[in-house]
Parts: sequence; structure tokens; C-alpha cells
Amino acid sequence: MKKMIIALMCPLLVSMLGGCATQTGGKPGKRAILVTSFGTSYPDTRKITIEATENRFRDEFPDYDVVRAFTSQMIIDILKERDNIEVFNVKEGLEHLKKEEYSEVIVQPLHIMNGAEYDELVEQTEEYEEFFTSLKISKPLLTSVEDYTETVEALNKQIPELEENEAVVFMGHGTHHHANAAYAALEYTFHDLGHKNVFVGTVEGYPMIESVQARLEENNIEKVILMPFMIVAGDHASNDMAGDDEESWKTILKKQGYEVECYLHGLGENKAIQDIYLKHAYQTIESNGEHSEE
Amino acid sequence: MKDIKVETIIRISLALIFILFLGRTSIEKAVDNIDIFHIGEYLIDFEDDSGYRIKLDKPATRIISLYPAHTQNLFSLGLNNEIIGVSSSDVYPVKVLDKKSYSYNSNPTRIIEARPDLVLIRPSFETEKTNFVRILKRAGINVVSLYPNKFEEYDDYIIKIGMLTGRKNTANKLLKKFHNDIKQIESQATYIKDKVGVYFESSDVGYKTFTKDSVMIKAIELAGGINVASNACPIEKELPRAHYGINKILYKREKIDIYLSLRGKRGAGGNHHSIMARSKFKDISAIENDKVYEINYNLVEPTFKYIRGIKELRRIFYPEVFDDISMYNSEEIITREEAAEIYVKKAHKRIFVPSSRYFREEHEDHTYGFFEDVSENHPRFDFIETAVHLGYIDGYEEDGVEYFYPQKGISRDEFAEAIFLISDFEVKEKHIEIKDIKQIDNKKIVQILVDNNIFKLEEGYFKPDKLVTGEEAVSTLNKINGD
Repeated sequence: MKKMIIALMCPLLVSMLGGCATQTGGKPGKRAILVTSFGTSYPDTRKITIEATENRFRDEFPDYDVVRAFTSQMIIDILKERDNIEVFNVKEGLEHLKKEEYSEVIVQPLHIMNGAEYDELVEQTEEYEEFFTSLKISKPLLTSVEDYTETVEALNKQIPELEENEAVVFMGHGTHHHANAAYAALEYTFHDLGHKNVFVGTVEGYPMIESVQARLEENNIEKVILMPFMIVAGDHASNDMAGDDEESWKTILKKQGYEVECYLHGLGENKAIQDIYLKHAYQTIESNGEHSEE
Repeated sequence: MKDIKVETIIRISLALIFILFLGRTSIEKAVDNIDIFHIGEYLIDFEDDSGYRIKLDKPATRIISLYPAHTQNLFSLGLNNEIIGVSSSDVYPVKVLDKKSYSYNSNPTRIIEARPDLVLIRPSFETEKTNFVRILKRAGINVVSLYPNKFEEYDDYIIKIGMLTGRKNTANKLLKKFHNDIKQIESQATYIKDKVGVYFESSDVGYKTFTKDSVMIKAIELAGGINVASNACPIEKELPRAHYGINKILYKREKIDIYLSLRGKRGAGGNHHSIMARSKFKDISAIENDKVYEINYNLVEPTFKYIRGIKELRRIFYPEVFDDISMYNSEEIITREEAAEIYVKKAHKRIFVPSSRYFREEHEDHTYGFFEDVSENHPRFDFIETAVHLGYIDGYEEDGVEYFYPQKGISRDEFAEAIFLISDFEVKEKHIEIKDIKQIDNKKIVQILVDNNIFKLEEGYFKPDKLVTGEEAVSTLNKINGD
């Protein structure tokens, strides 16, 4: 009789436990990486930057399902309305993973720095901690000192051999957030590693184009190659950097008598930059803490 | 005695003529809406484009326009104080920036509180924003919906705006000039040899175009193009938009020499970048030859700017004819306004049409339309604004007021800067010595251009202050690879 009761109880207990597990932590062994970027509405650019990076994650982490999320609601709306393409925002992405009963989730931002968007991402992700056995947030591109040197090495792959009178100027976005200091630190790292003629400026933060102009003048530069320091070469790269109007960096520098060339490829196209994001994801998976940045 | 009488009559007549001359604007205004054949009960009585009968016993004096084309036409009719509000996407003319803006997406009570006696809308608002329109009408406001879906309805549309505002005669006068301008454009079509086939994208959702008799398609035809989508099916709720679809576009791929896309408002066509990237489009002639162009919707709407739109389209379709600068090849000194036109044409740049976002941002050097001496009616307004926007030529600022000085000349120093921006030049290793280099403002630029053989020195001197002649401008520009 006892045996019978146990025999009857066992499946019941198992199913109850199983039920509990889905409620709090998803199905064991179901893993996902939520690759989160600002997003872009240009299909061809998206393919070679964001999609290419996501595909690298698929190849490198076969045990994980790779899911896309954008942080820009405006871009999500455009894609839905114009191209009938559905992309999750961060909350929707996490909601989807919860519904599909994933237990181990890595959120990998394709952001440049630990700025305002990253803060928001952390905040949104933390609300979902209770729904997964493990939910970890990985690092953006520029976090540790090592990240800076590796980023310089990665960017160096897209920089041609420079003559004394030639320089490369990177255009970053810039931010009101204290993380803005990352741009100047990156330029400093370039110079420390021997790349004297590489300068970094931003559209909306510091250093501004005026600071860059001063550096070019000091170094007797005659030819400048402009490159976006952004994952996607979108509106900022094609208008603010390489546009024809008098406020673009190209025109501002040409008016000063520089020969200007524009390189219109986002960082997302650079395999060595993609490698850094992959490395961050590895480190996060191996880390014990809830947040890898801690 | 007789002599004195004649003299007095002459004097009185002269005085009368003088008084009439002084008061001509007030008199014109007073008689603008007089219609000698008018016998109806109301001064204004017609059916609007949504089918409602509009009856007004006097012209409107407190007008809110919720559509940019209506706003522009109100200003063209000489109204300003009467316009108490415009739509949030209005940017023309520059005077709209001082007006209160309203949106049909916001609360209609804001409009009611402004106490307008006329609100101008489009028929599509009437169907899409039923409640909004109903609330305004219930508050006793005359809401009139107008829009010419066909080019042939253009005159009627302008006349109706004229009637509503007491400017019917002005409307007729403007229309007369409009049709003369169109005739002149048509007469110049003889310069065109092989006509280009054009597809005009009105929206990238479902690859829509415009109906064959729309104002937009007529602009293409007037500019000498052939509309390849003349069999497009009108979309009743979205007129003048028409369905075409990807299959029909691909079927006509060899006939589409120019792919034109309407830009500047929500739900319009794709941009150059996104159209070029459509993988299915790669066999279309226009995509193969990179002949994809964007045109701002303001240039092909039923306003008096339409003429400028047609001229812009002609430059897109036939640059070899309409961007030709050889007529300036003379010994005369070129003026700054001529230089602006020459630069923009040589560089084949599209005329600059600012968006509402442009006016929300601060502009350090110059803001569109702010030159005190270049009004929007100036024949070279678009070329001047575009050349300044592209940095080819700078304006002047005196006591916070912007001037362009269109009739002044261009120095070789200034000319060098424009050339350097229009094309790309290599920094040479060996420099040619310029004896007066210290007197030059754009030292680096002039050095590169002299080294590249674009400018010749006169016995070693560049002479930066010497004014540029038409001949020098044309021959120098012909040396660069703008073409």
C-alpha cells in the first residue's frame, strides 16, 4: 500500500516541482543571449553590422539561442510600419525569453560605453531577475583598461598606413553622461600605443570638432580620413560626418584646407571589434556574479 | 478765364491720381473680392472637397491652416495678420515661424480657444479625424476641406482659398502668372531630345506612386519626363496616391531611367540609401546607373512653389541642358548671386529645402531665409540658400542682421574655397611658390589648387583680391571633375 502511495505521489511531486521550476527559472539547459543594440532602419547597413555580429554569436555559442532587441523604439516603430519587421525592445525581448521558459540568459549590449543607454538596460533587465535561474548582463565595448587597448588594436586594422602629414579622426556620438570621458581616454590609448596621428571627437559631447582641429593644426596634418566610431554608419556618419552641408565635419575640415576622405563603415563591420563583444560574453558566462561589471 | 479752368482741372486730376496712387493697396484690398456677377444670398457660397456646402457672409479674418500647402497659398495671397495659426509641420514661408502651431493630433479645444473663423484642412482629415473635425464644427467654426487631387483642379482650389479670404482677384492674378510661367517652361521643352522615363515613389509601404492626373505627376511631365506608371490604380482614401507594386515596377525596369522619391513627411518614399539597397531593385535602369533622386514634397504640392519644383526636376532629368553654365562665359565680373547659381549647377546639388527639424536647431552662421536682402521671391533664392547651406559662399552679419549682397563680386580667394569644396583635390608633395601667399585668407586651399594646376599664377602672384570674371569662373570650373 505504502509503495502504491509513493508510486502515485512521485509523478505528482515531480510535476509540481517541474511546475515550480517554470514559474521561477525556466527550463534547465534552455539558454539565450539577448543581443541588444540601438538599432538601425537601413536594411543593408543592419545586415553587415548588427546582423553580422549576431551571427558571430550564433557561431560562437551554439548552446545559446541568439535573440535580437533594439533600444530605439523609434527605429522599432519604423521597421514595423514600413518593412513589416518585428523587433523586440529590451522588455519585450526579456518577456519573450520568460514566456519561452529560458533559464539562463545573457544580455549582451552592443553599446560603446557604460553610458545612459547601458544604465537603462541594466535597470530594465534587473526587473526580470526573478524569472530566470541566471540572468547576467555583459559589458559594452569600452569598460576595462584592456578593452581600450584591444579596441585600439581592432581599429588599427581598418586604419591605413599613415604618412607624417596624414591623420585619422574618429567621430563618436558623445553624451551628457559621465561615461563621456571614454572618448578622450580612447585617444590617449591610441597615442600610448604609438598611433600619434589618430584623434577622437564627438558630435554631442567632448572633445568637439574644435578640439580635433587644434590637434590637427599642432601636428601639421594636411590629409584627414574621417571614420565613424559608432556601431552602425547611419545618419550621423552620412550627414554629420560625411555630409555636404556647411556644418558637417567634412566641410568644416575642407574649409580649413585639409584633403578629406570619408570611411563609411560602422564598427559593427570590424571583425576584431565583434571579437571583443564575443569575449565579453564569454567572460560573463564564466563569471559568478549577477552582473559582470561588478 | 478759360485757361485758369483748364489748369485747375489738371491740378485736381493730378491730385486725385496722386491720392489714388497712395491709397492703391487699401483700394485693391477693398475690391479684391468684388464679383460683379455675384447674385447669391451669401458672399461666399460653394461646396468644399468633402462635399459640404460652405456659406460665409464675409471673408475670414482669423484663419488656422492645418496643411502646409494651404498655409503657403494663404501667404502667397498676401495674408499674414489674418493667419492666426498653422500646422506643426509648416516651415514656409519663414514668417510661419512666428505663428502658433496646431496639430490635428492634439486637443481640438486649443483651436476652439483661439477663436478662428476659418480652419482649413484636407479632405483626408475629414475621414481620418472625424471626431476632431466634428468638435470644431459643433463649436461653430467653419471647417473647410480643400485639396486638388488633379492638376486640372488647381485653379479652382486657389480661387476657393481666395474667396474664403477676400482675395479672389489676387488669386486670379497669381494664377495668370502661374500659367504664364508654365507656358514658358513648356516652350523650353524643345531643348530636350530624348525624354527620360520616371517612376515617382509616393510611399515605400507597398510601393505606391501618384495617379496619372495628379499635380505631382503633372510636374514630371512639365519637366519633360515620361511617367512610366500611368496605369497605376488610384487609392480612394489616400488620393492622389495610387497603387503600383513591386511586380509592375520590375516589369518596367528598363523604362525607369530616373527613380524619384517623395521625401519630407511621414509615410513618404524611401531615401536614396534605402532604395539603392533594395535587392530586388538591382536590375532597374535607374538603380544600375545610380539615378535615384529625392524630392521634397513641398516642391510638388499645389502651391506657387510648384514652378520651382518643376525647374528642379528638369535639373534632375536633364543636367546637360539645365545645369549648363556656359552662358556665364563672358568678360563681365560675376556677381555673388550668379556665382551661387554656377556653383550649385556645376556640383549638380539639389536645392536645399529645410525640414521642421532644421528650424528647431540653432544654426551658427546662417539660418535659411534670413538674408535681409534676398527675399523668397528673389529669382535666385534657391541657388543662394543652397550655396550658403553647402558652405560654397558665406553671408555677412551686421548688427545681428544677415545680408548676402547679391550684386557684389567674388574674389579669387573666395572662389578658390568654393572650388575646393565642390570637388576633391590631392595634397601634392612639391609646392609651387606663391609670392603673395601672405595676403591670401585660404592659404592651404589656394596652395593645393595652384599645385593641382587649377589656378594659374600671374608672374608668381595669385592676386587673391582680384574679382572673378564669368570666363574665368567657367573655364576654372571646367577643369574639375564635377561632371
